Amino acid sequence: MPLDTSSAYPLALLRVDGRRWNDLRRLHAAVRTQAAADGSAYLEMGNTKVMCTVTGPSEENKRRTAASTATGNTGGAGGGAGAGGAEVAVEIVVGGFSSVDRKRRGRGDKRIHELQTTLSKALAAALHTHLYPRSTIALSLHVLSQDGSLLAALLNASTLALVDAGIPMSDLPVACTAGLTSAASAADDPLVDLNAQEEQELPFLTLATLGDTDRVMVLVLETRVQAARLKDMVDLAADACKSVHKSLREVVRRRGEHMVEEGAVEKGASMAMDMDIDV
Amino acid sequence: MAITILKPLPPANTQNAATAYNSDSDSDGGVDLEGDVSMMATALSSKPSRHVGGKGYDQAIVTPGEIITEDSQWMRGHGTYTTPDPYAIVASVAGTLVKTNKLLSVRPLRARYTPEIGDLVIGRITEVQARRWRVDVGASLLAQLPLSAVNLPGGIQRRRTETDELQIRTFFSEGDLLVAEVQQLHNDGGAVLHTRSLKYGKLRNGLFLAVSGTGGGGGVVRARRQAFTLDAGRAANDKIDVVLGVNGYIWISKHVEGEGAAAESAGPGITRVEESVGLNVYSSQNDAIAPETMREIARVRGVVEALVQHGTRVDEDTVTRGYNEAVEMARGDGDGPDTLYLGGERGKRLVDALKGR
Repeated sequence: MPLDTSSAYPLALLRVDGRRWNDLRRLHAAVRTQAAADGSAYLEMGNTKVMCTVTGPSEENKRRTAASTATGNTGGAGGGAGAGGAEVAVEIVVGGFSSVDRKRRGRGDKRIHELQTTLSKALAAALHTHLYPRSTIALSLHVLSQDGSLLAALLNASTLALVDAGIPMSDLPVACTAGLTSAASAADDPLVDLNAQEEQELPFLTLATLGDTDRVMVLVLETRVQAARLKDMVDLAADACKSVHKSLREVVRRRGEHMVEEGAVEKGASMAMDMDIDV
Repeated sequence: MAITILKPLPPANTQNAATAYNSDSDSDGGVDLEGDVSMMATALSSKPSRHVGGKGYDQAIVTPGEIITEDSQWMRGHGTYTTPDPYAIVASVAGTLVKTNKLLSVRPLRARYTPEIGDLVIGRITEVQARRWRVDVGASLLAQLPLSAVNLPGGIQRRRTETDELQIRTFFSEGDLLVAEVQQLHNDGGAVLHTRSLKYGKLRNGLFLAVSGTGGGGGVVRARRQAFTLDAGRAANDKIDVVLGVNGYIWISKHVEGEGAAAESAGPGITRVEESVGLNVYSSQNDAIAPETMREIARVRGVVEALVQHGTRVDEDTVTRGYNEAVEMARGDGDGPDTLYLGGERGKRLVDALKGR
């Protein structure tokens, strides 16, 4: 069924899956899903389901540095990955069962390679890699189900797994997508967090920001859009990133509180209490 | 396609999100709308707030990017970084806040092992080079073990010659396990090990187990004694050595008189090493181990795994008490004293019994 955005959307202002223009899909995430890994996470954005495991930072065997892994240091994109910093190696495996039509994707797939490079550069910029010279932080991402916003889901899952691994970073990198309805003048609202059907029909971009600041880490736009509408899309995506950031932070915090309750971690000092005494 | 019905989460509202993190401004009207999230941010920021102490957030978990304080009287420690303008100390890992006088640091919920001088570690040889070995100790970098930092068989004290270099694989080769001490640290955090004591050296007659090291929830903690001998109930001469590496690697083995890491006090001091270092210290051949001993070794392993699974620290006290408790449990359960299973409910009961005392 084709997506009839031109007629249906302006009337009811509802999208194909019943969301409003600024509604995110259900975001469900869990950290420490695999006990054997240094860090692991599972993330669902609607029906896009992604699993991530982190190994390291550890010293990479020279033999193992395969061509399939993208390196974070080569580009030198943004701060973070200096000369002596850790390398961020990202490997993405897309399950053949993950989308509607079963597709066999080899190792040398250009799209997957690009996703790997994008993630690796973005994460290297956010992580404090300079603390781990000569080491490698290896991320392994498995796509279990695809329903749009794949890059965003991959980045969010990586963030959680890296936090679980206890690797220092300046803020949580978070990502979201925003698209444009084809009705250019009727409804001026761009759409947020697109699903696969919308992604196929509409021009869209993926934006990643560093935490809830407005610092852009990734901006991927592969379709044509009117230049005038670009700002709206970026603004909306940045707003959506703030929402995603809130959810991810809550996931991490819940996990931490759970560990404190269990007694696995000692209770922390509270800043606020101390200030009350000072004042 | 199977249909699963998932409980929906409360909808995220993109409109309000922008106001969620403004807690450091005094005239912030948006805080109340946001409930939980901003409450935490406020509780941690330097300004006193009416939200402080609400809804159990005194446990103070901080997440990366969260501002801990904007007060310049504090100094930053591990797990934090500072922003110059406006000055703020920001967390870089998720964990709990630790205050040491005026030093603020964040204790991570979990992290890899960071070597410190004097740590007793267990490692596995990954690489053999001309004059040294490279050892995996679970840290971010491989540790080094120079040829000059091991004892020669027979305890002879002399310079290491080219002949020794050529025979380097007769001491340790790839895949061998060893117990060692961190002697020195490089600037990048890499460790240099030594095994120049009777306590240290190649490991055999036992079982290897990896749990999370220090800085993680549960796992091995630094203690006064990392290596000890357990009395395995039945036969009086049945003893088990346990070495708890600070890096989270654990070795459980059959006790051999006058050998192994637990023989600290029994064996002669480092000064008389030459008289006692046998020629078989670098042997990779296991001794004959009785099935009863093997079973008790497996039981200790079950105890350690149960302790880790239920987030309890692993040290001499918990392992010893846990082992005795496990023996009692096996006897009392009616499945016979040979029952080793300590997973699931049984593991939980074991840990509860330990915590109850």
